[in-house]
Amino acid sequence: MDVLIQLVLNGILLGSMYAIISVGLTLIFGIVRVVNFAHGEFLMVGMYAAYLLAAKFGLHPYASAIPVVLLLFALGALVQRFLIQPLLSADEHIQIFATVGLSTALVNLALLLFGADLYSVPPSAAQGSVQVAGFTLVKGQIVMFVCALALVAGLHLFMQSTALGRAIRATAQNRNAALLMGVKVDKIYVIAFGMGAACVGLASALVMPLYPVTPTIGTYFVLTAFVVVVLGGMRSMYGAFFGAMIIGLVDSLSGYYIAPDLKEVVYFALFLLILIFKPTGLFGLGRGTE
Amino acid sequence: MSLHDSSLKDSRSAPATPGGLSVLSRLTDPRVYCTLFALSLLVIIPAWSGSTFMVHVFVTICVFGALATAWNILGGYAGQLSLGHTVFYGLGGYTAALLLTHFGLSPWIGMIAGAALAALVSLGIGYPCFRLRGPFFSLATIAFLEVVRLLSIHFNGVTGGSAGLVVPLQIGWPWMIFREKINYLYIAFGLLMLCLAVSYAIRHSRLGYSLTAVRERDSAAQAAGININGVKLWAMAISAALTALVGTFHAMYMTFLEPATLFSLATAIEIAMFALIGGLGTVAGPLLGTVLVVPLAELARGWLGASANGLHGFVYGSVLVIITLTLPGGLVGTFGPFVVRLIDRLPGGGRTRADVVAPATKIITGTPGEVVLKAQNLVKRFGGLTATDNVSLTLKRGEILGVIGPNGAGKTTVFAQLSGFLTPNAGTIEILGPDGKWHQPSSPDAFARLGIGRTFQIVQPFGKLSVLENIMIGAFLRHRSVDDARAVALRVAKLMGLDDVKDVEAGTLPIGGLKRLEVARTLATEPTILLLDEVMAGQSQSDTVKMVELIRAIRDTGVTVIAIEHNMQAIMSLSDRIVVIDSGKVIAEGKPDAVVRERRVIEAYLGEDFVDAQGL
Repeated sequence: MDVLIQLVLNGILLGSMYAIISVGLTLIFGIVRVVNFAHGEFLMVGMYAAYLLAAKFGLHPYASAIPVVLLLFALGALVQRFLIQPLLSADEHIQIFATVGLSTALVNLALLLFGADLYSVPPSAAQGSVQVAGFTLVKGQIVMFVCALALVAGLHLFMQSTALGRAIRATAQNRNAALLMGVKVDKIYVIAFGMGAACVGLASALVMPLYPVTPTIGTYFVLTAFVVVVLGGMRSMYGAFFGAMIIGLVDSLSGYYIAPDLKEVVYFALFLLILIFKPTGLFGLGRGTE
Repeated sequence: MSLHDSSLKDSRSAPATPGGLSVLSRLTDPRVYCTLFALSLLVIIPAWSGSTFMVHVFVTICVFGALATAWNILGGYAGQLSLGHTVFYGLGGYTAALLLTHFGLSPWIGMIAGAALAALVSLGIGYPCFRLRGPFFSLATIAFLEVVRLLSIHFNGVTGGSAGLVVPLQIGWPWMIFREKINYLYIAFGLLMLCLAVSYAIRHSRLGYSLTAVRERDSAAQAAGININGVKLWAMAISAALTALVGTFHAMYMTFLEPATLFSLATAIEIAMFALIGGLGTVAGPLLGTVLVVPLAELARGWLGASANGLHGFVYGSVLVIITLTLPGGLVGTFGPFVVRLIDRLPGGGRTRADVVAPATKIITGTPGEVVLKAQNLVKRFGGLTATDNVSLTLKRGEILGVIGPNGAGKTTVFAQLSGFLTPNAGTIEILGPDGKWHQPSSPDAFARLGIGRTFQIVQPFGKLSVLENIMIGAFLRHRSVDDARAVALRVAKLMGLDDVKDVEAGTLPIGGLKRLEVARTLATEPTILLLDEVMAGQSQSDTVKMVELIRAIRDTGVTVIAIEHNMQAIMSLSDRIVVIDSGKVIAEGKPDAVVRERRVIEAYLGEDFVDAQGL
């Protein structure tokens, strides 16, 4: 029983990391209606940025969160403005290829610049753990859990009670109607893409103390993030949050009860089943694949 | 004139001259001899240079050219962007390697087994995933690839796992392993030719046209009687089998198999990338993309060595991004027509195809006046709205039935049910088939095969195909061969006054032309019952008159017509019988002159107050 509770706790904490990444992916898909295949590479860029800030200026990754978030916002905004925006009315396959190409270019650019070696920041307290009622919790993961909750709450407030938030929601619901109401849709898209990337920036600063960075780390995380987003119904931030928790649990439990190297098989299988049989997501929060 | 086939983006197609011309005469066509010359360079250059490195580069070009060509059958023709195609490549490799290791079977046999297995697996992946749209199909194929890769690592007893599997080194043709590297090139080139031949054949067959139709607009494809999932599954199985063949060869060439390279996501993306760079949906594009990009990367690797780790991927990714932004049609899609025009200036070029027009269709036999369609008590609800409320209709052979009613009355919803695009919540639709039996079809393509032809109120052209090709898509329902379909399409184009614009890209037609194209594509399916949804809208006065005459002429060949129309003058003069629908119900039925006098009909159009004021 104790093992089970420990696994559940681990799962939820792990899920909070996926939650931050997936909320960003959902923002981009829900508003701009583009599946960002380069999302994982944004994470990789953010992690290298956090690593460099730590290595050159001795900045703790948590302290580097602010510059990294800003950097990723700028990266996302630029990608939207100069890559996605010209292709908004292009065929869908062109949009897919554009972000796939960006992803390939970024992975290999990192490989060119940093090689295939692992880089990590100096050990810090974030890797330490605390004992709560006999269960072990990693401090860095607790921070992530708190940040994930704060992020969703903050975005909720922003979307519901600011003028910009309302404009974003209107654009997500109906681009043309929003346009007719005087919303500057192109600007909203740039902001939304930037925000989605900024979420990844936050994630990379929080992940950096726990995982070393490699050029391909993005692929590993983003495939999981896609599973989460599909599970959560593609366009719902709250769905993405709960989807992330579920994947965290599946990861933690199947890693223990089935086999550590098959946990991904389990959630990819889950992903395919959801995609095929319940495209609106587990909670029916999204409009799915139509 | 085959130049205009460029709307289907194919620069190297040899003109299909009528009748079987001799091989010699085909060879004197510059399109044929230029293609053969260009392809032969793939063997001549490395053989002449004699360098092992050059041979390796050209084997790689042939392998990836073949993979991209095979991928294009699904990704380009059918528009299903698989980013997990290395599943089939890996299956081909592992099947042959394992059969060789455990049973001593020659890889040539393993190759066939691998292809068969890959085709089967592809059906298992395609069947559930084809309902997914765009990026979600791509994601699902990535997920399948990851699952297969992880499983192949997990079951290391079979596959050797991450440690890999070394192919037993027996040398000679039966074992596909050679000391003389040039032999590998012969096989790779042969596989490339096979993939190109299959791709070319599909592109110029009924299957190819059907795939393009499905990719461009699936509703119109269904109305033309195409079984959407059926044709996609064919494309997937063929593409997977070819990919597996190449996979077997490549595994024997590398003599070492590991999940990370055989089931590689990066390779799967590269394959798709080459096809896009060259031109999706073209025969020559995937190979051309490979020829341009692969040597660049291989040479960079050769010159810069390990320090350039990642350089080739960076180049690939950047080229891909630039292509999407500047040449979304790819190289062949953009420059192909121009190059073909140049080639046609060479000696022996510029042949045109004689237009063969099919004779008029035979008159439909059957007893005039017999019931051919029975719709009973149809009910269709959308949430709280009952769009069709207990509607019953019968159609008699050879009549023209007009359906009128105010906007939003539910006329189009009834049509959608009569053609299988919507399934009623209650009620039945029975159709008298050509076999004289009653049928209850369940999918739009089944309705079309039974002889129901429908047009769409909101026109549904295959925008990037020429007008003639649009009509051919319809003609393929009853005619298997391209030549027959073309002849029928030409006849229908003439009938509908579209022969002047037959080579124009359909998307550029004005609305009147598009409406006529709707009718033309439907007529080409040679329907026995024709459902016309507001075909007069957007037509000029004189075109309306022509359309009325035309509908009469169609009826005179024995076709039964049911038409929704707001143009009252036209529909009243045309119809033998009128059905009035309002708020989802049939409120009146009868002869045109009687129906227009009915109080409920006037009420439906003009409101109760008007009726009262007029004292009716």
